[in-house]
Amino acid sequence: MGTISGCSSMGVEPWERDVLAKEEMQLTSDPVEAALDDHIYFSKEASSGGRGFGGGGCGCN
Amino acid sequence: MAADVAVTKGSMMSNHSKLSITGALAAATCTLLGSGLPEPVQAQEESGWDFNSALLYYGEDGDRVQDLSLNVLARRTFLDDKFLSLGLTVDALTGASPNGALPQSNAQTFTRPSGEKTYTTPADELPLDDTFQDTRVAITASWQQPLGRLFQLSVGASASAEYDYTHAGLNAKLARDFNQRNTTVSAGVAVAHDTLDPVGRTPIGLAPMLGEEDLSNRIGDQTKDVLDVVFGVTQVFTKNLLMQFNYSYSDASGYLNDPYKILSIVDGVSGDAIPTNEFGNDGPSQLNVYESRPDERVKHSFFTQAKYYMGGKVLDVSYRYMTDDWEIDSHTVDLRYRWPISDKRYVEPHIRFYTQSEAEFYRASLIDGQALPEYASADYRLGNFDAITAGLKYGWKTGGGNDMSVRLEFYQQSGSIPSGQLIGNQLSRDNYPDLNAVILQYSYRFGR
Amino acid sequence: MFKKTLLLISALVLTLQAGAAEPYDQFDLKGHAGKVVIVDFWASWCVPCRRSFPWLNTMHRKYADQGLVIIGVNLDAEKSAAMTFLADFPPEFGIYYDETKDLARSFGVVAMPSSYLIGRDGEIRQKHFGFKVKKQDEYESAIVAALLDTLRITE
Repeated sequence: MGTISGCSSMGVEPWERDVLAKEEMQLTSDPVEAALDDHIYFSKEASSGGRGFGGGGCGCN
Repeated sequence: MAADVAVTKGSMMSNHSKLSITGALAAATCTLLGSGLPEPVQAQEESGWDFNSALLYYGEDGDRVQDLSLNVLARRTFLDDKFLSLGLTVDALTGASPNGALPQSNAQTFTRPSGEKTYTTPADELPLDDTFQDTRVAITASWQQPLGRLFQLSVGASASAEYDYTHAGLNAKLARDFNQRNTTVSAGVAVAHDTLDPVGRTPIGLAPMLGEEDLSNRIGDQTKDVLDVVFGVTQVFTKNLLMQFNYSYSDASGYLNDPYKILSIVDGVSGDAIPTNEFGNDGPSQLNVYESRPDERVKHSFFTQAKYYMGGKVLDVSYRYMTDDWEIDSHTVDLRYRWPISDKRYVEPHIRFYTQSEAEFYRASLIDGQALPEYASADYRLGNFDAITAGLKYGWKTGGGNDMSVRLEFYQQSGSIPSGQLIGNQLSRDNYPDLNAVILQYSYRFGR
Repeated sequence: MFKKTLLLISALVLTLQAGAAEPYDQFDLKGHAGKVVIVDFWASWCVPCRRSFPWLNTMHRKYADQGLVIIGVNLDAEKSAAMTFLADFPPEFGIYYDETKDLARSFGVVAMPSSYLIGRDGEIRQKHFGFKVKKQDEYESAIVAALLDTLRITE
């Protein structure tokens, strides 16, 4: 497992991810709703997107 | 569980103005890159299908846009954390949209984009074009799988069609975990190619609005290409706190105008529209020209989000800063607080603040007799405004263990025209098309 | 590797309870000297663990009389969460609750689930992090080789 130097002390042990595994703790807990909102705001404003990716979660496998 | 995203393509919601949504595609693809894809590290249930569906109503006041949208996202889980997601969106749009001309103290007549008829705006009212009703269909597909133990790859495609606009796009994303999966670094790219075939064909930028049946200042189909690149870092800080930081770059080139938007030509002293009799009853009663935007737009966005768990409640806070080469700057702050009220129910209040500064070529109107600028647009969506969304969501688990929710939100935009741009009588009028809209959504997730 | 083995063996304890459904009071490898032991770290919120449990049961049924012992080490924050999981996925092997997480640390658990295959000589012969259905046969071959004492140490 690689470590990013400087970051290696931040974070939790693999067995401490019970909360992070919960659905409501995912960065995008409802992708359909997020897409609908993005679409509304993109149609009515000059900015769009920006949201990102994954990470977090249970860290399994 | 996070599942793939349906939708997003470039035009919706505001009638003909939808086509001008610059970066429409960019937004679409960024969404495809971002929020839609399943979280890489969250392993899934046993193989099978799960569905995420939503019905959304969006309605603006004052006879303006109304939209009804049906979305379904179906995901099939394969063994060992591989996913196939398929999304479908259908939406139907009606209602009127500001055409960019300023209100006047007399009635104004405009030619419809098709050139077939005219419409008249009463005195002292904001000119709205109610020509369009439209139906749009959008589809997405994506595949996600681990590569080795620490990498995750996603690839996807999207397409959409409505009568005057089609979109096709591809996207890919690679993510790698570090630091015992406490840190995830991702990079994604999306490309899209859109074609616009406006009703009545594309008007030439800054050409005058002509009478009925006169399409001499129109040209053929237009295209737009967008490239989006996103880099992100997700970091677990504590067992209850997760944060994300993204930088996005977007480059749109090609036809970026809204072919249905115009500007008023006004007198340099009174600020009133210049009347014309050239067309009689079969054309505009005052001088207007079609808008013109640059043929390229480069945007940079910086986004950060935190999710914080507090004994069952979850706080979700995010901030985005966007800046582009049209000189638009925007800030977005979004807060959600999920509050379980029993082990099967929750409420989630939501508030969002948004502010943007106007595009460099934004003009309230153009002065008669002065040389036309290279680019000009009176589209309020490129203007200077603040917006607030406030809403509440209520969610529950059904007897069968599935998830349903409803949310109701109010969206309000209020803008202002830079004072240097207002002339004469314009100063005493309400020129900026403020927006008030309601959003109502019902969602049903099942199969998991 | 060697140091780790010493650590394990020196995790002193008392007698183990036999019987599949009974949880272990203590963690003790000395009581299993001469047997092949799988130490599998799991938690209720770990989705791949739902696939690994039925497979571990199958391995227990197939190889227990040849000398295979499986110890499922639970790393949940609350025992009650683990009990809910076990009601859905009843194990035919013993469970040990590592409440202080000291065992996880001494084994160097870096992912969930983590599985350590210990040979008849008490040395860790193989470890795998995560559980992939496609690798089940590979995992099983390693068990068979360990039972036959022919499995070389691999990372």
